[in-house]
Amino acid sequence: MHELSLAQSLLDQLLDLAREHGASRITRVAVTIGPFSGVVRDSFAFGFDTLKGALEVTRDAVLDLETPDPLYLCLDCNRVSVIPFAASEWSPDPLAGGFYPKKCPWCCLTRLSPKGGTELTLNQVEME
Amino acid sequence: MCDTCGCQLHEHHHHDAKVVEVNRSLLEANRKQADSNRHHIEHMGAVAINLISSPGSGKTTLLERTIEALKETVRIGVIEGDIETERDADRIRAKGVPAVQLTTGGACHLDAPMVHSGLHVLEHFAKDGLDLIFIENVGNLVCPATFDLGEHRRVVLLSTPEGSDKPAKYPATFRGADLVLITKTDLLPYFDFSVDEATRETRLLKPDQAILALSATTGDGFDAWLAYLRQLLPR
Repeated sequence: MHELSLAQSLLDQLLDLAREHGASRITRVAVTIGPFSGVVRDSFAFGFDTLKGALEVTRDAVLDLETPDPLYLCLDCNRVSVIPFAASEWSPDPLAGGFYPKKCPWCCLTRLSPKGGTELTLNQVEME
Repeated sequence: MCDTCGCQLHEHHHHDAKVVEVNRSLLEANRKQADSNRHHIEHMGAVAINLISSPGSGKTTLLERTIEALKETVRIGVIEGDIETERDADRIRAKGVPAVQLTTGGACHLDAPMVHSGLHVLEHFAKDGLDLIFIENVGNLVCPATFDLGEHRRVVLLSTPEGSDKPAKYPATFRGADLVLITKTDLLPYFDFSVDEATRETRLLKPDQAILALSATTGDGFDAWLAYLRQLLPR
């Protein structure tokens, strides 16, 4: 949520960094959006691209967005697994009701607890 | 990943350009202010609690009953957050405790800078000092989860009429809680709320989650809530 205001916070940080390092242009920005951060990738990218044009220094910045797959801890067998969002939920059979709960790939039980994944991080910035 | 310098940026970036390692949260500005708020509150000798829930879950009523029970021995102050009106702050003031109303005019959540200004005003009106500061967030089960206000504990309320599926539907909010408080237990006979389901879904998100259930109307379960608060206070 609030992707636009987050994009603005990012641009503010970029401005500060450009000043700090005496750069006139930000060329690339590497950001990680955690799978459980609540931030929608496309909305954030859209917000960034919309707002960056307001200033010369950020106008041509390219956003490299990393969106790692979610990790889950199985509360039954205690193993941690990566279960991508797209892979987990939909059944191709409309009569089956459409939604299946996520299953642990090791023990097939369904008590999967989200592990980490709440980060929203500015990793690196390329500038000149 | 770039083969030349090993950074995350794509292969064809320019090496005459400078690559700066940052590794900072996008929410850095709010986090800094939140940490500052927390230190400020500790410097006042107090502890702060952020109350988060949907509109109408019973946050203000919970505060009214809590104040009645504790005000003789605990110095309480409240920062109220709403989009419009001073109604909640007025209710708190009627209980004889200082309250500051933050009206956002449109923002759907409080953030650390807003609470910072609220703290200064609250301090001004609480001349005898404070032990316990409640921050009643804007009624919203989604957005407040993202914003650290400088609290020491985050309490998420879930009322009986809302339904026991809400922890599963709003995972970020319930996962981020230090305590989940099921409210309006006096209404359990009239709704399809399963305390078992709510507990199960909550503990799936956070296996060691603290959960209490109470009714501010009947007082059922209220002692456990007061005990939770008392053990947060020094002495």
